[in-house]
Amino acid sequence: MATVPPNSGWSAKLRLGFRRSPHKTLLAERHRQGPLAVQKALYPEGDVCHVYLLHPPGGVAGGDQLHVQAHLAAHTSALITTPGAAKFYRSVGPWAEQTQYLSVDNGCLEWLPQENIFFPQAKAKLTTEVHLNQNARFIGWEINCLGRPVIQESFGAGKAIFQFRLYKDGLPLLLERLPVLDNTMLNGVANLRGQPVFASLYATPTDDKMLHIARATLPEQYKNQCAITCVDEVLIARYLGNSTEIARQLFVKIWTALRPLVLKREACVPRIWLT
Amino acid sequence: MVVVQHKVTAIIKNMITPIDPSLLRLLHLVSPSLPIGAFTYSQGLEWAVECDWVKNEAQLLEWIGHLLENSLAQLEIPLLARLYQARDTQDKQAFKDWTYYLLASRETQELRQEERNRGRALASLLPELGIPISTDILPVLKSCQLSGFVYAAQYWHIPLSIAAAGYLWSWLEAIVLAGVKIIPLGQSAGQRILANLSPNIPEIVKCGLQLTDDKIGASCPAQILASSLHETQYTRIYRS
Repeated sequence: MATVPPNSGWSAKLRLGFRRSPHKTLLAERHRQGPLAVQKALYPEGDVCHVYLLHPPGGVAGGDQLHVQAHLAAHTSALITTPGAAKFYRSVGPWAEQTQYLSVDNGCLEWLPQENIFFPQAKAKLTTEVHLNQNARFIGWEINCLGRPVIQESFGAGKAIFQFRLYKDGLPLLLERLPVLDNTMLNGVANLRGQPVFASLYATPTDDKMLHIARATLPEQYKNQCAITCVDEVLIARYLGNSTEIARQLFVKIWTALRPLVLKREACVPRIWLT
Repeated sequence: MVVVQHKVTAIIKNMITPIDPSLLRLLHLVSPSLPIGAFTYSQGLEWAVECDWVKNEAQLLEWIGHLLENSLAQLEIPLLARLYQARDTQDKQAFKDWTYYLLASRETQELRQEERNRGRALASLLPELGIPISTDILPVLKSCQLSGFVYAAQYWHIPLSIAAAGYLWSWLEAIVLAGVKIIPLGQSAGQRILANLSPNIPEIVKCGLQLTDDKIGASCPAQILASSLHETQYTRIYRS
């Protein structure tokens, strides 16, 4: 183990391009390099292209570099999800890096991956950058779990850096960065408060009416764990608690309520979530 | 008696050093009497107290200490430096870009409104203090309190590190006072917290000024949740 050289991990890249055909959105471009892939596009609701992102090794180790890029051309609609949780394993030193770069020109993108689980002593840097142009519409979420609370396993001395950046027509609309590098961030009273799961849902464009509708979906019992705000045109729901399952349930409720308003479509749950 | 008096005078004479007028400008700029509403915002603390996250002096000290070490040290201070440099080099585009950056980093509606409201108040005050504002920069200053602060600090030649320390002090004083009122605690508890945290300011300034662009930004997740929940808090006195 001691002889593992730094940066010896996998490097994987996947680039997806969506184009409009007369009746539906096509996954017209897919370039892959290394172990990242997509299954064939599915159309459970007519024209919207549903895509499942796969990472066949099943987990990310220290030194791995994963880059996903997706571009939606004008008048396209795509929903991207994953078949299961992404796991970031313990690292003997090198950082794992996952970068997601999503750009939408006047189309609709849903970015709804399943949760990221960070094993004790993992070292990972996750960056999601979303570029929206003109009348682009977007709903996305990221659900993160530090350690494995179901088996009472903590994140230990792991380190993780989370970045989310959302731009509209080249200007920053929301910039978030959360470095989890020490015990103060994990347990601090103003920080993660010892809670292993934190998650955010983003939807844009939005307005006060949607904010009220989204807030109304939250059950009373989670009122101190989930909060919804609206900054300029972006609605943000945030969860801080101990269960990825609850985070996901709350977000599916919000997504179901918002999808008809933000994307003008009824919710259509990807079948893979039910398996 | 006469001898003693002469002695004191000599000692004092040795202590007469030139006073940098920028120091007085800084005291003015960070004064609680500056009418930009510093004492009407709690940045989520009012809700954190309501739901028992912050109940006593020790927890208030911890809450404020974390905000200082994270968002203040890793967002405000490096941005204050970049805005200052942009003013110093008369780079209007950079000044505008970093202002947008700061606003986009305000993660809740109330925190963004606070930045804008105080920015607007400060922008209308600066001409009264003798600081001219050109029409092209006015909308930028109106959108962001930090940018207005930097604009004044640079105009008055307050050195960057000193301006940064002053900014942290005025934030600290306001948030401690908010905590003391909301929990509530005695005035001396608030003074103890100030005495406890203010010695950290030089180190926080130093770290914040050295941060590279890729390391800017450090959220405090519980504060952000508290700030969001404050937006719907039933009984509240503070505007954030």
